[in-house]
Amino acid sequence: MPKLTVNGKGVEVPAGTNLIEAARTVGVEVPHYCYHPGLSIAGQCRLCMVDIEKTPRPSIACNTVAADGMVVQTETERVRETRKSMMEFHLINHPLDCPVCDQAGECWLQIYYMKHGLYDPRMKDEKVHKPKAVPLGPHVILDAERCILCSRCVRFCDEITHTGELGIFERGDHSEIGLFPGRELDNKYSANVVDICPVGALTDRDFRFQVRVWYLDTAKSICPGCARGCNIEVHVNRRRPHHAEGRRVARLKPRFNAEVNKWWLCDAGRYGFGFVDAAERLLMPARRQGGTSTEATWDEAIAAVAGALRRLTPDQMGIIASPKMSNEDLFALRRLIDLCGVRHVAGQVPPRVPGDEDDFLIRADKNPNSRGAELLGLGGDARTVIEAAGRRRLKLLWIFGHDLLASALPEPDVLEALRVVDTVVFTGSNANWTSAHSHWVLPAAAWVEREGTYTSFEGRVQRFRQAIEPLGQSLAEWEIVTRILAPLGEAPSATRAEHWFRQLAASVPAFAGLSYQLIGDSGRPLAEAART
Amino acid sequence: MLIDLGIAFGRVAFVMLFVLNVAALLGWVERKQSAIMQDRIGANRASIFGFRVLGLFHPLADTLKMLTKEDFRPARADRLLFDLAPAVSVFFALVAFASIPFGDTLRVAGRVVPLQAVTLNVGVLYVLAMLSLGVYGVMMAGWSSANNYALLGGQRAAALMISAEIAIGASIMGVVMIHGSLNLMDIVRGQGYLLWGWVPAWGIITQPLAFILFVTAGIAATKRIPFDMPEGESEIIGYFVEYSGMKFGMFLMTDMVETIVLAGLSTSLFLGGWQIPYLFAEGFHFPWGAGIALPPLLVTLLQVSAFVGKVAAVIFVLMLIRWTLPRFRYDQAMRLGWLGLFPLAIANIVLTGLVLAAWGNR
Amino acid sequence: MSPMNLRQRFYLVEVLTGLWLTAAHFFRNMGRHTARAFGRKGTSGAVTIQYPEERRPYSPRLRSLHRLVRREDGSPRCVACMMCETVCPAHCIYIVADEHPNPEIEKVPRRFDIDLGKCVFCGYCVEACPEDAIRMDTGILEFSSYSRGGMIYSKDMLLSFEPADASGRPRSPIPLPADRRA
Repeated sequence: MPKLTVNGKGVEVPAGTNLIEAARTVGVEVPHYCYHPGLSIAGQCRLCMVDIEKTPRPSIACNTVAADGMVVQTETERVRETRKSMMEFHLINHPLDCPVCDQAGECWLQIYYMKHGLYDPRMKDEKVHKPKAVPLGPHVILDAERCILCSRCVRFCDEITHTGELGIFERGDHSEIGLFPGRELDNKYSANVVDICPVGALTDRDFRFQVRVWYLDTAKSICPGCARGCNIEVHVNRRRPHHAEGRRVARLKPRFNAEVNKWWLCDAGRYGFGFVDAAERLLMPARRQGGTSTEATWDEAIAAVAGALRRLTPDQMGIIASPKMSNEDLFALRRLIDLCGVRHVAGQVPPRVPGDEDDFLIRADKNPNSRGAELLGLGGDARTVIEAAGRRRLKLLWIFGHDLLASALPEPDVLEALRVVDTVVFTGSNANWTSAHSHWVLPAAAWVEREGTYTSFEGRVQRFRQAIEPLGQSLAEWEIVTRILAPLGEAPSATRAEHWFRQLAASVPAFAGLSYQLIGDSGRPLAEAART
Repeated sequence: MLIDLGIAFGRVAFVMLFVLNVAALLGWVERKQSAIMQDRIGANRASIFGFRVLGLFHPLADTLKMLTKEDFRPARADRLLFDLAPAVSVFFALVAFASIPFGDTLRVAGRVVPLQAVTLNVGVLYVLAMLSLGVYGVMMAGWSSANNYALLGGQRAAALMISAEIAIGASIMGVVMIHGSLNLMDIVRGQGYLLWGWVPAWGIITQPLAFILFVTAGIAATKRIPFDMPEGESEIIGYFVEYSGMKFGMFLMTDMVETIVLAGLSTSLFLGGWQIPYLFAEGFHFPWGAGIALPPLLVTLLQVSAFVGKVAAVIFVLMLIRWTLPRFRYDQAMRLGWLGLFPLAIANIVLTGLVLAAWGNR
Repeated sequence: MSPMNLRQRFYLVEVLTGLWLTAAHFFRNMGRHTARAFGRKGTSGAVTIQYPEERRPYSPRLRSLHRLVRREDGSPRCVACMMCETVCPAHCIYIVADEHPNPEIEKVPRRFDIDLGKCVFCGYCVEACPEDAIRMDTGILEFSSYSRGGMIYSKDMLLSFEPADASGRPRSPIPLPADRRA
C-alpha cells in the first residue's frame, strides 16, 4: 500500500489507485472532464494536471498511479495557470449559449470556469460550427458544438454496454462525436451518456426544455422498476408548477451505490416515473354501485372495508398483496391478515409478457420488493385466490395495485371472480381495468410521495424518501391499513412508515437488527443474507 | 289664521332651506377654499353633460354616492342607538338656528313679522341648549358602535363639549349683561346704537375679549380642526368609525350645520346681526348729517343680505382656521378650555360688571 | 428645540400670523384665478398638474409596462432561458419553453405571461436577460383592471407593444380592458 502526501496531507491508498482518487480520499477535488471512475482512462481533457515533486512538468492525475513517497500539490500557481490555459482551449469553439442549454446549472464547464477559468476570451475568429440538436436515439440528443471531446460517452458504449454506437469523427478542431453509419443510440442504458457528459453536448430528450435544473428539488430514492433496486435521485419540480406541463417528477438520476448499480441506471427505470403524474391517478376514495362510481370520504371507505373484515369468516376473505408495496406496507397488511385470519392470501401475479433480463442491471422480475413479500409470507401466486373466488367461497377480495386483467391469469376466470365476489376492494395509485371492476377504490400514494423500504432480489433493504406531497387524498398503503386496523381493535400506533419498520425488525427474524438509521442512504443486507 | 300659519311656515322654511343649502355648499367651499389656500385647484371633475361649473356638482355627487352606498352596521352594535345617533346629531344642529334673527321686522298682510324662525325671549339659552344636546348624538354613536375607538371618540366629544360649553356660556354673559336680555332679537337691535355718535355698538367693539373666547370655544363645540379629537382621524378615527353611507353623511352634515350655527350666533352676538352701520328703518343716517331715504322693503332686504354676508365672512374665517391650525392634543384642549377660556370669561364678566356699574352711575 | 418665548406661548399672535399667511395665499391665488378667468395671462393660481390631460415628462430610466423585443421577422427575441423568471423576486413571470425549428436559435417561449398584479417593477428581468429580449420602456403606466385575470399579460400582448417615443409618451395603445375603454 503506497503512502503519499497530497497538499501536505499524508494518505495511504491501495496499490494501483490514481492520483484523482487518492486526492479524493483526503477531500481534495482535482478538476477533470474525461476521467470517470467507471470507465477506462483516456487522458483527453488534460485538466487534471497536478504538480508532483521531482517531476519537471505538471502531470495528469488521472493516469498517474499513486506511488510510495509521492508528494503531490494540486493548488500551486503553476497548476492553476495550467488549468486556466486548458479551460481556454476547451472553450475556444464552445458556443456562448448557456441560456438555452439544458445543462446550464449542472455543467462542469460553467462550474470550472467560475472556479478556475475566469479569463477574458482571446478568441477572435469565427467559431467552428457543428451540427446542433441532433437526436442520437430515443432518449439522447446531441449538440456537437458544445462537446469538449472527452470521449466518456464513447467509452461508455464500448466498455459498459459493449454496443459501440458512438465514435469521434473528423480531425483537429473539426472533430465531433457522432454515430457510426446506420447505428442509433438505442441500447437499454443509453441515457447514462447524458449523466456522464460533463457539458451540454448530450442531453435528455424527455427532460429537454421542461424545467431549468435550478428549480428542482432532490430526494434520495430507489428505482421501483425491477428487483435490482438501483439507487436513484428523484428530481422534482415543486416550485414552478407551470413547467413540464405540471409534471411534478421531472427526472430520475442514478445515485452511486458500489454494491448495487454503481453509477448507472437502465432507460426503462429512468423513464418509468410517468404514472406518478398521469391522468389515471386515483385521487379520492370511490364507491361503485350499479355501474356508476361516486366519490366517498376516507371515513366511509374505511368503515365499509373494516365492517366487511369484521363480519366475514376467514374463509370468506381474500387479499392479493403486491410486491410493489414497501416492506412497511406489507408488514402492516400482514398484521391485518393475522388479526382477521384471512385465509386466501397471495402476492405474485404472473405478468402476461415475461420481463426481459440481462447480465448487467435489468432483472426479469419487474417488482421492487418481491423478496420482502416472500419474507412476509405474501409471495404466493394469486391464481389460488382467484380460483377460490371463482368457487364462490369469497365475499371480500382486496387487491393491491395489480391489474389482474392485464396479467397471465386467464381473463374469464378473473372476470368471473370479480363478478361473483360481493365486495371487491382495490388499493393502488393508478386506475386500471381491475379498479374499474371494484366496489371500493382506495387511492394509494406513489412511491415518490411517501417513505418506505424495498428489499432487492439480493436481500438488500434500501430506503426511499418522500419527494413530493401525495396527490389528492391518496395515502400510503401502510397508512390505509393502519386506519382500517383501528376499528378492528388495533389501536393505531404508527404515524410514520418507520414505526412499522421498527415492529417489522422486531418480529421478523430476517429483518432483525435493521433500522432506518442503519440502512441509511446506501442500504443494508438482510440478516440472513449477511450470514451467507 | 291661515295667513298666520303661512307666515310661520315661511319663517321656518326660510331658515331651514338657508341652513340646509349652505351646509351642502360648505362641502364645496371647504374643498375649494382649502385648495386655493394650498396652491391647488380642488375638486373639479364632477360634470353633467360636460359642464363642470367649478366643481359645484361634487356635493351632489357625494350625496348620491352616500345614499347609494352600503349601510353597514356592526354585528354587535346597539341597533336602535346606532340608527338614532346621526339623526339626533343632525336634528339638534338644525333646530339650533331657529331663534337666530336674520332680519328686523317685516310687514306682511298687516302683521309685524320678526324675521327669525321662532321668537324666544331666551333665544341665547335655546341655541346653547340645542348645541349641547347635539353631543348626545355623538355619544350615542360612540357607545352603540361596539368599537373601542368609537367609544373613545364619543367620550372625548363629551369632555370637549362640556369644557367648551362652559366657556361659551360664560363668554356670552358679558354681551347679555350689556343688553340686559336673552332675546337674540333684542341683542341685535341693541347693537344698532352708535357709541360716541359714530361707532356701531357691535359686540366685537364692546366685548372684544368675549368675542375671541366665544369663537374659540365655539370652534371646539363644532369639534372641527383644531379641536377634532373626537375624530382624530390619524389616530382613532373617532365616534363614526363604524358608520357608512348617508348615516356617515349626516355626521358630516352636523359639523357643517354647527359651523353655520356658530357663524350665525357670533354674527348676532358680536357682529351686529342684520345691522348695517347707519342704516335705520327709514334709510341711512350718516354721522355727518347726510342721509338716504329707502323704502322699508329695500331696508329689510339689505338687512337680510347683511346678515347672510356676515355669516359668510365668519364661515370663511372659520374655514381659514380649520385649514391653518394643527390639531390640539387632548390634554392641551382640556387645559385651554378649563385653565384658559373659562377663567378669562369669568374675568370678562367681572370687568364688564365693573364698567357697567361705573357707566351706569355716570 | 429651544423653549418657546412668551409671545409664542401666548399662542394667539402665532395663530393670527399663521392665518395671515394662509389668507394671503388664498387671496393671491384667488386674484390669479380671477384674472385668468377674465382672460388675463399670468401666473397660475395653482401649482398642481391636471394629471390625465397634463403630464410631467417621464425620465428615460422610468420602468413602465414590459414588452418583448421582436426579431426582424416579428418573432420574439426571447429564447425562454428563464433567467428573468428565476431572478424575479415576485415570481410573476411564467414561461413555458418550446423547440424552435432553427437549431441555431433552438429554444423559444410557447407561453410568456407576466402577472402585473404581482410584479413589483424592480426591473431585474431586464437586467437578467442575456438576449435583450425584455424591456420596460413602453411608457405605459395605466393598465389597471377590474379582475386579477385582467392583470395577466400574455406573450402576444407583450410582443405588440412599441417603445415609448422620445418624450416618454407611449406609442402603443394603452391596454385597457374592453369594459373600461372610454
